Amino acid sequence: MTDKLYPEILVFACNWAGWSCVEAATNLGLHYPASVKIVKVNCLSRIHMGLILKAFDFGAEGVMLLGCEQGSCHFDTPGEYIINEYRKAQDILEMLGVWKDRLVLTQLPAFDGRQFVGQIAKLMEEIKRIPSSKRSKIIGPRPVQDIEVYI
Amino acid sequence: MFDLQGVTNDTRIRLCLDCGKCTVVCPVARYDPDFNPRLIVQETLRQNGRGPADERIWSCINCSMCVERCNYNVKFTDFIRYLRYEALAEGIEIKYSHGGVPQAIMHMMAHKEIKQNRLSWLPEDINISKQSDTAFFVGCAPYFDVLFNELGVKTAEGSKGALRLLNYAQIPFTLLANERCCGRDLLLMGDAEGFLALAQANMQEFSRRGIKNIITNCPECYYTLKVDYPRFVENWDIKVAHMTEVVVPLIENSQLILGGLKRKVTYHDSCTLGRYSRIFDQPRRILASMDGLEIVEMADNREKALCCGASPWVHCGVVNKQIQRERLDQAGATGADILVTVCPKCQIHLKCAQETAEKNDVCQIEIQDIFQMAAQSLLSQEES
Repeated sequence: MTDKLYPEILVFACNWAGWSCVEAATNLGLHYPASVKIVKVNCLSRIHMGLILKAFDFGAEGVMLLGCEQGSCHFDTPGEYIINEYRKAQDILEMLGVWKDRLVLTQLPAFDGRQFVGQIAKLMEEIKRIPSSKRSKIIGPRPVQDIEVYI
Repeated sequence: MFDLQGVTNDTRIRLCLDCGKCTVVCPVARYDPDFNPRLIVQETLRQNGRGPADERIWSCINCSMCVERCNYNVKFTDFIRYLRYEALAEGIEIKYSHGGVPQAIMHMMAHKEIKQNRLSWLPEDINISKQSDTAFFVGCAPYFDVLFNELGVKTAEGSKGALRLLNYAQIPFTLLANERCCGRDLLLMGDAEGFLALAQANMQEFSRRGIKNIITNCPECYYTLKVDYPRFVENWDIKVAHMTEVVVPLIENSQLILGGLKRKVTYHDSCTLGRYSRIFDQPRRILASMDGLEIVEMADNREKALCCGASPWVHCGVVNKQIQRERLDQAGATGADILVTVCPKCQIHLKCAQETAEKNDVCQIEIQDIFQMAAQSLLSQEES
């Protein structure tokens, strides 16, 4: 995807501090590229490794997990859950040779729009630093194979 | 696409007499009254090849117990693959276990440009001869260890043990840095395109490295490479051997003398190594060659062995847990200290049943890989 100006990033934002940062960025009139797609979830502990890997499988070049700061979860879920999933996903990505820095966990205080935009810019820089051979999308549209399939 | 005529010929499904022996021996049907192999076959035949596209077809654990029992060798496990393939083509949604991570990993591996970094688990004491035309196919064990680390499974230890045995017997082998998953799980769940992509990527890697022989310690990889790949991949001329088939002759020629281990063990037959590949004796011979090791058999063993209760990472539920519990209870009833298995997936599934149940509810027997055990016995022999 070297012909594109900005890498495609998927953000999983929690409904509370995470989403408020996105809203604050909008209210402050801060800009971030339209290639950033945001999926709102109720809590980051809803996100598991399967969803993260699937985002890469479907062609995201970077994934950001945007959530509350440690210990300030709206639902009092222990923060270790998402950290554990994040570390496991990084290990799997590393093994797959997908450059684990494409996945970041960002825990911000509520209404911190500036820092959110800053982190997005940082992730984009990070992805641009990745050698182009490793930057290609993981999976494009798969060619339909006209092979007689035997079960 | 499949044609029904071909499927019925290959799976011999028209020979089904409606006798119901498959359903009697089916471990899933024992716990789930809705699942009935006989009825699935009859219903599909009545509806001219349109099988039930509901949850029932995903409950089958592909343990091949029905095929073992069937008097007419009707291949129900192949038939269910056909039904799954049709259901997937219609766009049915599946309940993925573990959040669909194994499938996501397999799909990512199928991509041509991926360059994996998968040998990080390899200890320094293992010697690899890069020029050898014999490859050791590790399988997904390194991925499993990350994915299931909260269960405390160490499936890569089995691969390490197998490599140490090969080193000890001075058999040269190489490892493939970019080997893909064999794709068996995708094939079993009906994702034939994904399987073919993996098979072709693997074949390219094998021919690039000039591989002539493959040794593997994973029964699933063994069966897929040996039986399924020649059917799907063109110009396949690679010899595939399971690690047990390699080790047993070495033990018989005294090229490999295993150490002693004073424990009481029971051997769990993996469906893929046992009923599918008909390897029953070799693992037992390896265990028998260890000094002081007492082997006891579970109530269901060899051809009748109970499955570890799960198949291609889909639809794992309470029925699967009950099968796993039954298997663990059988192991506990033998009075053995260790349940020895050869399949990484059996290890994961049985361990999962132990970890998710209440502590006193299910037998907490220690589960070990056979090659890990054999390599340990070698190590203790050297120390003494």
